[in-house]
Order: sequence, then structure tokens, then C-alpha cells
Amino acid sequence: MKDLLRLKSSLTAEIEALLNEQIQKEAHSSSLYLAMASWCDRNGFDNSAGYFYKQSDEEREHMLRIFKYVSDLGGTALSPTIDNIKLEFNSFREVFEDALEQEIAITQSFNNIADKCLRLKDFMTMQFLDWFLREQREEEYVARRAVELFDVIGEEGTGRWEIDRHVSKIKYDSEPSGA
Amino acid sequence: MKIELPLANGLQEVFRTDAGCVYQSDTQNCLYVEFSGKTIRYKVKCFFRLKAIVDRIDLAKMASDPGRACDLEIITMCACENCYVLTLPQIVAFKELLAGAKVMLELNSILHDRLRRVAVKAV
Ligand SMILES: [Fe+2]
Ligand SMILES: [Fe+2]
Repeated sequence: MKDLLRLKSSLTAEIEALLNEQIQKEAHSSSLYLAMASWCDRNGFDNSAGYFYKQSDEEREHMLRIFKYVSDLGGTALSPTIDNIKLEFNSFREVFEDALEQEIAITQSFNNIADKCLRLKDFMTMQFLDWFLREQREEEYVARRAVELFDVIGEEGTGRWEIDRHVSKIKYDSEPSGA
Repeated sequence: MKIELPLANGLQEVFRTDAGCVYQSDTQNCLYVEFSGKTIRYKVKCFFRLKAIVDRIDLAKMASDPGRACDLEIITMCACENCYVLTLPQIVAFKELLAGAKVMLELNSILHDRLRRVAVKAV
């Protein structure tokens, strides 16, 4: 009897389901960052709004990357539906704290998928995840640095204005020389 | 369109219960589901969509709902002209049949891996 499952797709049902969940999560991130951009715009944090617009685009890119992978391997990529996006934040600082939380949750989610891949010996997907795990290193770094600006600069006086100016300048460099 | 006796067409039995049977066609790369008096052909993807739909039916809710209409569940899938109208016990049996077939398909996949794909080099 032919192996119809494998002929149809290189993905196991479990990995396919996890990747579809991740598509959903990246789409959720993208929407959340857009909501943060909107909040920043409403409250006069111009640079930060731009920073979150860019983040939102990137998350959509991530979503598409996984979407294409699932499709390419013969799976069924599910178009995400997003609701329950937080629209209001109590403070400028909270926006960045939430952003960091979001990135941490995404990293954990990728770790979970990687763990599953190892257990199911799905090294093809494991290798695909490599890019994302590397990306998360940068994403968490940038999000954490942004939150730290609130302590380094301080929010008093023109502090928030200063923080807003610096947000878009945060860069990640994986080389020790910093060159 | 009535489908003739499946086994006569070179179909192989994947999984059988008292209520029905799932067959595989190696010539057509598809599955046939014999249940509630009819035999319907499914592509592999559609079979799993069907299974997902059936699994999603809330049996507890169906059982506790006093309304007449809730005695039956209509199962339809888009891009598929067939539908099932099933009672609660039939749904339980259908779930069992589809779940069993899924396990056998996965087992077949594992056997292919172990006996053919991986073993080739060891011979
Ligand atoms: Fe992402
Ligand atoms: Fe991200």
C-alpha cells in the first residue's frame, strides 16, 4: 500500500499544526505592533510610531515565510484571523514592556517547535527554524534595550522625548568587536 | 453516481469497524469512505478535513440539547457535493472509523520509513 501521507506532504500533522499556530502568532504580533504604532502616533511619539510600523511589517514577513514553507512542503497553510488586539496602553513605558513580552513569548514558541522537531526527527523543519531562532536573538535584544532606555534616560522632564528619539537608533550587532 | 464494490477495483482496506470501512486506492492515490449506506471518494487532504470537521462536533452539547433539530448533525464540506446527515451514535461511530483510519495511515507511513526508505542502505 502506497504511503499516501508522505507522498502528499513532507510535514507531519503535528508539525504542520504547530507551524500554523506560529503563522497565527506572527500575524498577531504584526497586528499588535500596528496597534502600538497607532498609540504612539496618538500620543506624540513620532519615532516610536515609525519603529512599530517597521516591526509590524517585519512580523508579517515572518508570517509569510512560515506560510510559504508550509505550502512548499505540501501542507495546508491557514490564513490567520486576528482579534483581541490591545488598543490602549497605560503608559509609554508599558508599550515597550508589552513588546518585549511579546518577543519573549515568540521565542518560547519557536523553542517549543524546535523541541518537537527534534523529537520527531524533522531536521528539515529544524533547519528552517534556524533563521527564526537567530532572528529572535536580535528581536529580544532590541526590545530589551528599548525598555532599558526608560531607566538609562529616565522619564522626567524631556526624558520621554529623548527616549522616543533613541528608540529607532537601537541596533543589534552580533560581532564582539561591534564593528 | 454509484460506486461499485470497492474491493473489486483493487482497493485496499485501511481500517474497518462494524459501522463502515476506509479503503485506499493506489492507482488513484485517494481514499474511499464507506459509511451510512454510501461510499465516497476523498483526496487525502479532503479526508483529513472531513476528520477535522467530525472531530469538532460537540457530542456533549448535542446530547444535552433538548431541541428536535439537535438529534441530527449535517456534515458538509465545501468543494464536496456529498453530505452526511448523522445521528449522535452514528457520529460516534464515524469518529471511531476516521480516527482508526488515520492511525493506520500513519502506521503505514512509519512502516514505509522503517522497511523501505531507511532499510535500503542497510541491505
Ligand atoms: Fe516574528
Ligand atoms: Fe518579532
